[in-house]
Amino acid sequence: MSKLFRPWRDHSFQLLALALAIAAFALSAVIFLRAELEHRFSVSTAEALGGDLVLASSRTPEPEQLAQLAELRVSQIIDFSTVLVHDDTLLLVSARAVDKNYPLYGKIQLADNRFADEYTQEHGPAPGELWVADQVIDRLKISVGTALTVGNKSLKISAIIRQLPDQNAGFYSMNPRIVLNSADLAATGVMGPGTRIRQQTVVAAEHSSIARISLELDLNLRPDQTLETVDDAALRSMGPLRQLSLWANLAVLLISLLCGAAIYLATSQRVRRRAKLAGLLRSFGASRYQVMTRLLGWEFLAVLPAVIVGGALGIGLISGAMGSGNSNAATTIIAATPFEWLTALLAPLLLWLAFALPRLSALVRVPAIEVLRQREQGSLLSTNIELLAALSAPVLLAGLLTDSLGELGKVLGLIAALGVLLPALLWPLIKGLDLASARLSLPARLAIRRLSRRPALTLPLLVSLTLAMTVLTLAGQTGSELLKDWRTRLPSQAPNHFVLNLFDRDMPVFEQWLKQHEALAQPLYPVVRGRLSTINGVPVREAVTKEKKSSQRHLNRDLILTEASTLPASNQINSGQWHGITTVNASPTKPTQHEVSVEQEIANRLGLKLGDKLEFVTSRGMLSTTITSLREVDWNSFEPNFYFIFASNELANEDITWITSFWLPDGDGARLAELLHELPHITLLDVKTLLDKAQDIIAQASQASALLGALLMFSALLVLAAGLLGGQQQRGRDNALLRALGGQQQLIKRILWIEFLCLSGSAALGATIISLLALYPLNERLFQQGLSLSPWQALPLVLALIVTFCGLLASRKALQQPALSLLRSHSS
Amino acid sequence: MPQQATPLLEVSNIAKQVQGPEGELTLLEGIDFTLSRGESLAITGPSGSGKTTLLGLLAGLDTPTKGEIRLNSSAFSALSEDQRASQRGATCAFVFQEFHLVADMNVLENVMLPLELAGREKPAAIAKDWIERVGLSHRIRHFPATLSGGEQQRVALARAFAVQPRLLFADEPTGSLDHANGKRIIDLLFELNEHSGAALVLVTHDPQLASLCQHHLELHEGKIINKTFADKNLQDKSVIEKHIQKSSNT
Ligand SMILES: Nc1ncnc2c1ncn2[C@@H]1O[C@H](COP(=O)(O)OP(=O)(O)O)[C@@H](O)[C@H]1O
Ligand SMILES: [Mg+2]
Repeated sequence: MSKLFRPWRDHSFQLLALALAIAAFALSAVIFLRAELEHRFSVSTAEALGGDLVLASSRTPEPEQLAQLAELRVSQIIDFSTVLVHDDTLLLVSARAVDKNYPLYGKIQLADNRFADEYTQEHGPAPGELWVADQVIDRLKISVGTALTVGNKSLKISAIIRQLPDQNAGFYSMNPRIVLNSADLAATGVMGPGTRIRQQTVVAAEHSSIARISLELDLNLRPDQTLETVDDAALRSMGPLRQLSLWANLAVLLISLLCGAAIYLATSQRVRRRAKLAGLLRSFGASRYQVMTRLLGWEFLAVLPAVIVGGALGIGLISGAMGSGNSNAATTIIAATPFEWLTALLAPLLLWLAFALPRLSALVRVPAIEVLRQREQGSLLSTNIELLAALSAPVLLAGLLTDSLGELGKVLGLIAALGVLLPALLWPLIKGLDLASARLSLPARLAIRRLSRRPALTLPLLVSLTLAMTVLTLAGQTGSELLKDWRTRLPSQAPNHFVLNLFDRDMPVFEQWLKQHEALAQPLYPVVRGRLSTINGVPVREAVTKEKKSSQRHLNRDLILTEASTLPASNQINSGQWHGITTVNASPTKPTQHEVSVEQEIANRLGLKLGDKLEFVTSRGMLSTTITSLREVDWNSFEPNFYFIFASNELANEDITWITSFWLPDGDGARLAELLHELPHITLLDVKTLLDKAQDIIAQASQASALLGALLMFSALLVLAAGLLGGQQQRGRDNALLRALGGQQQLIKRILWIEFLCLSGSAALGATIISLLALYPLNERLFQQGLSLSPWQALPLVLALIVTFCGLLASRKALQQPALSLLRSHSS
Repeated sequence: MPQQATPLLEVSNIAKQVQGPEGELTLLEGIDFTLSRGESLAITGPSGSGKTTLLGLLAGLDTPTKGEIRLNSSAFSALSEDQRASQRGATCAFVFQEFHLVADMNVLENVMLPLELAGREKPAAIAKDWIERVGLSHRIRHFPATLSGGEQQRVALARAFAVQPRLLFADEPTGSLDHANGKRIIDLLFELNEHSGAALVLVTHDPQLASLCQHHLELHEGKIINKTFADKNLQDKSVIEKHIQKSSNT
């Protein structure tokens, strides 16, 4: 057992173990983080979708289809429109009938009365009960407990719906929602042969069975049926997350490689010290095998605790960070598959195998003659095996971390580019300093020589420090820019409520109410409801091709149409021209034709292109228009977004209502009640929770990148420590020599200062250049602005000072080496 | 060469004690002698007798626990470490058994180093001159790792003499060299020393080498057991006795 602890007495081994622990920490953290994110993502996607698989149709699925799902958790959801009547008031609502399995994922948020706090519920209403949205209460002027008639059936309102887990956040349906139990559906009698319904058969199941069933179902779908799985849905919306995981993988790979470098340096130091011993053993007649077991045997077992502790901390961090918001930390551990557990354990060991073992094996190759050599060098040159191991380690690690060949290629390409670019950038800097040093003061000259004359150590150090500083700066700056951007877009007084259905005559009341409660109003958008009826004269049902059938739900609903003379700030024209800006010979101010600008995504889904003529049916009749531009919309902007924007005055003859948003200070819910009491027909949406969630995500992402940057910095410092440890003897000797030759302590200190300042300063310069180069296009893309200087650009300088400080701290021993040791060094 | 009587190094009854694991340990005791400009002193004795310890004290790399060392008539051993270093830089030079060249510097830079530390004018020209004198002009840009032991020690000699020291310390300068190379180094050392007029303190366990010096101290377990100083130091009894012995023999 004591053999297990013996290596720990050696500083180089401690360093090696620390490097392995850091690598294990970073690797396991990123592996578990990805498992967790993917799990969460698919859970939240499944939640939004309603299940892992959704078979949507306009009538009940075929018995064979249901039979295929027999073994699984299935829920049937039926959506339809109906009218509620109460005291002569009619209200069109979106009704949903759910069975006892609903919802398969997520929870329903309910409240006991109009302004009460919400609570969660895991199943739908019991038979005989009815849940309604706030607006139903407001419009019909009723309260919880009232009995309402749905069709022929009287149901008692038992709760208010705040949010359904699968309720999409768009403004497709502005009708208030009600939920009832499907057991009551037949009794209502609303399901006649002509009723338009949308039936969703949602399934919860394992990934593998979903894949199999979706293949089976896909073979004989009816024309009215569509199939969507959580994978399809996740793939669509996971784009940004993929990007994020690419960067996380890259950072972790870099951390691992830096730790690998530290491991290699520390091992070299260990091997150098033990080479004499190995030679001695050989000269005593020990076989290679004996040398191996004596000198290497326990080495591997001794590093295991470091790997386990590092890995455990990494996993702990992720489950802690993820659990804290979630209250059940255990889910993280469950989210990781055995493969991920194995990877988290194996990846750091791979690092040891690649960076320590080949070097250690040099001990076995030590010839007996080594014992007769005066100096410690010679036979311990690097071998091809070491080179091969060092080169294949990143490939293998990247293979473990990434899950697609494309991503693997990207990560390796980036690593290779960095490996070539950075030395190419930094080495001339150091060489130039060396040349220029002839004119500098003595300490500067001596300091720079120490760096420029040891490229094998200086270059990896410089590269790793530069990388770490770059990543930290980029993480800091883009993180803070992103947050700032979000904050400006979503200032603390960002609209937290949306109002729909405002009529012209409501304006005085509405504005008075805003003023009274110090609410901040946003611009008003006119809204007309309409249904798309023809595309280029062809009825949409025929015009939209079969493969575009999934977009039918857009066609079956009222679309929200608006008009505007200027392009909303968060929108961008992809093709065509914005209203009123036409070709030269046309009048520049007045549109010559009826123009509409269409959102790009819906245009793609419906197969619309520039110049297409559209006809909408509105309450006043037909509205004809031509597509003159396609727009990209920023859905994150939390402003009202519209699929169809008409030129101004196009909607003048329609029934216009208004949409706006406003910010209301935190406070009493009665204020809203007051508004709804005065304007009962309006629709009021609270988007506060949505906002909070979005800001949370950004904050977490920038925290994660800062953590990665810090780990990177730490591993770079480990490389520095390993390099200093390896060169300690020589440094001590050089310092002692300077003292023997008459150098003052002050001079030696100054040399050290300059040496580390040069090293870290060069890295800081490199990091500044790279981060500026990287930030330029990044800023252009993210924030539509060029270079913006921020305090973060000073971070490399601060880090350079920290590195200098650490370097000086680590060199204390060499600094204090007495000159007397020169006379005795042969005995040490 | 005329002998100068000015005392350069005065050692009065110094002792060195250290705290060992088993209490106080006396490494040196009762060392007492004077060395004048241009003179040479050999310190001999078996391994562990305290030669290196004494050299370290003389060069001010360490301080005695008792007694006093005066360099140029000022109390060297009473100075602070930095003051001793600057005195050393101005007066002394070293040749070590293990050469101790700076690995990151080429031959020229190594020889220039003490000149630069002392702030001398035109260090490169002086260094080149000395490198030529030790016969290594063709290797001026080479790094120590590419030189043989003998060549490295020649660079060390050039480095030592380049500052024109008044006092040169050599601790077993041939200890890491083979016989032929060792002999070349010794020849060179004495030749250069003769020209420079520096006083020389040479630690060796080679009696033949010791005999090349004017004066001789033999140590045993930290004490002088034999002190042979050339004629002029008449106050020294043992020398007088030897002298008398010698003259009576002839
Ligand atoms: N700092 C020290 N602590 C304890 N013993 C020491 C110390 N320095 C030297 N010695 C001991 O003093 C004796 C003299 O050493 P040294 O001067 O190196 O002898 P020499 O150079 O003649 O071989 C040796 O026995 C050595 O072990
Ligand atoms: Mg000695």
